Amino acid sequence: MRIGILTGGGDVPGLNAAIKAVVNRAAEQGHEVLGLRRGWAGLLYVDPDDPASLEEYSLPLDPARVRTIDRSGGTVLHSSRTHPGKVKASDVPGFLTPPPDTEPPYDFTPHAIEVLEAYGIDVLIPIGGDDTLSYGLRLHNEGVPVIAIPKTMDNDVHGTDYCIGFSTAVTRGVQFVHNLRTSTGSHERIAVIELFGRYSGETSLITAYLAGVDRAVISEVPVDIDRLAAYLVADRKANPSNYAMVTVSEGAVIEGGSMSLRGEADAYGHRKLGGVGEQVGAMLKEVTGINIINQTVGYLMRSGSPDSLDLMVANNYAVMAADLAIEGQSGRMVALRGGTYTNVPISLIGEGVKRVDVGEMYDSEAYRPKLRHVGGKPMFLY
Amino acid sequence: MSVVGVLTAGGDCPGLNAVIRGLVLRAEEAHDAEVVGILNGWEGLMDGDVQLLGRRDVDDILAKGGTILGTSRKDPYVHGDGYASVARTLKRNDIDSLVVIGGDGTLRTALRLGEDGASVIGVPKTIDNDINGTDFTFGFDTAVQIVTDAIDRLTTTAEAHNRVILVEVMGRTKGWIATYGGLAGGAQAILIPEVPYDIEQVSSLIRRRHRRGKNYSVVVVAEGIEPPEKVELEKDAFGFDRLGGVAYQLAPVIEHLTGYETRVTVLGHLQRGGTPTAFDRVLGTRMGVHAADLAAAGKHGTMVAMKGARIDAVPLAEGCSEIRGVDWELYDVAQTFFG
Repeated sequence: MRIGILTGGGDVPGLNAAIKAVVNRAAEQGHEVLGLRRGWAGLLYVDPDDPASLEEYSLPLDPARVRTIDRSGGTVLHSSRTHPGKVKASDVPGFLTPPPDTEPPYDFTPHAIEVLEAYGIDVLIPIGGDDTLSYGLRLHNEGVPVIAIPKTMDNDVHGTDYCIGFSTAVTRGVQFVHNLRTSTGSHERIAVIELFGRYSGETSLITAYLAGVDRAVISEVPVDIDRLAAYLVADRKANPSNYAMVTVSEGAVIEGGSMSLRGEADAYGHRKLGGVGEQVGAMLKEVTGINIINQTVGYLMRSGSPDSLDLMVANNYAVMAADLAIEGQSGRMVALRGGTYTNVPISLIGEGVKRVDVGEMYDSEAYRPKLRHVGGKPMFLY
Repeated sequence: MSVVGVLTAGGDCPGLNAVIRGLVLRAEEAHDAEVVGILNGWEGLMDGDVQLLGRRDVDDILAKGGTILGTSRKDPYVHGDGYASVARTLKRNDIDSLVVIGGDGTLRTALRLGEDGASVIGVPKTIDNDINGTDFTFGFDTAVQIVTDAIDRLTTTAEAHNRVILVEVMGRTKGWIATYGGLAGGAQAILIPEVPYDIEQVSSLIRRRHRRGKNYSVVVVAEGIEPPEKVELEKDAFGFDRLGGVAYQLAPVIEHLTGYETRVTVLGHLQRGGTPTAFDRVLGTRMGVHAADLAAAGKHGTMVAMKGARIDAVPLAEGCSEIRGVDWELYDVAQTFFG
């Protein structure tokens, strides 16, 4: 059997570990693995009649090739945000003509399937967030065998409690918060720390919970600046070093405002977030008169090597996915549910959104983490 | 018994606590002197906010970032009545020598107080490594290590996405952090204020590299470089331009000229916080010890400095005379690896 594997969307720590584990598990059982490069872009830009392009967008993987890749971050297969089912007119490769009688964005799914056939791929393992995996679902519906592995530092793929990359993102967040304490304390300021997390406030919430940050603003609950300011002023006064800190999700909304979006939408209809931390900082300064340290942690949350929990999940997801693929299953996503490894239908990802359980984990009045119950929850609280 | 006063002013800097610890223990052990800590920089000196420092206060602070004395950006000549209130605090606490740990702005104020009659000793403090008269300042090595770690990590992201990542680093008007960090991180280009850059040239460097098959790049951008278009900058109390954000102006231009997706990471305050490296702990300790020795010897109007591998003293005026830029020889080494 020939298994195809690709990584799509933003990179996270643990992708290379997952690739390595799939390759080794498959090789043990006598199967081969072909890496497809640059996410779904490979399926769009390959001309099946051109051997050079087939070679450019693929990477044969065997245990020797993947021996050391798990030691670094990023992905050896590279990534993209291309969606072969929604291609802008300007992105159509020269050797393709859009399907007749259709308007852009064009659907090149039949071409993508032709490319998979040209590569001789029997089953495909995409590793990605909900955008990448939604196209995996599409291919599954078209009859291509697909086993999905969820990854995203935002931990927001519906259907699983955990996505590869989240733990390292939080680990970095906690580390950076503690590093900022000395500057914030020395200058007796309020630190506003903006964290990646897209539409989910989980990175902000859990980082604040674990780093002991005074307040956490999350995407799910619009923030009233006057109330937040009053809390932070009190927090600062109560702190012997006379400073206060607040984490802010990049997707956070100021009461009466809207999300801070920038740039043009990608193929999945998503624009870039960011800038809300600066806004919150400027408004806090105006209300309190206290100087602010604004810090965006940004890409540093998902760059570099994985922590041990992400290595654990990446390896286990990969082994499960390889086994499901070899068993001949399709349309499944490997997952963690209630602390247990399992698999679910891929279609689950489109059937809802995963957000912070505000009632269970957050105090919307005081803008800070508040666990209603811990007993009976899995190790990672989900 | 002689009394040494000490204060920290300006931005915090990893290694400050090592200096304070070195000063206090050396004064106590070798010179039988007492050390009075002045809280919150010049503000505490104007307001008489002081605290006696002994072994128990400094025993556990070597590895800690920040400063146990606190700091501020207040200046007696700008926000107070100049030497008068300073002299009152010095007199009331019988302070014979005032050790001022600070950057060039703070040291200039110390120099002026010295001219007005105070017995001052300067200790140069900046992560930017740009104070004249000393080869290195503590805090610089920690900042460079943070930049290096960040470049290492961001390189994997740049490669995964075939992108250009601009890493904006501190350094004010000089490119020390950028040059050392970029060299250590193996950056594809380093833009510093001392060397005018040509954005077309940088872009063609990146394009050439990508054509060679390495289709990702990390470019280190010093915060103080000329932006592609002139913008108005805020000023802080010392009249310094508040820097930061120039990479956001460069990114769209580089993206346009190269055709490659370009992203920005501004390291900001992350470069100043946290635990000092071994080098900065040792340098800070040596400078604190030397400051205690200078105080005991009555060598006022001086600044502690690193000269080669030795710790020495230079006239305080020398430390204030100009801002030290990156030497060309070092930048030339870095340039070898561009593209």
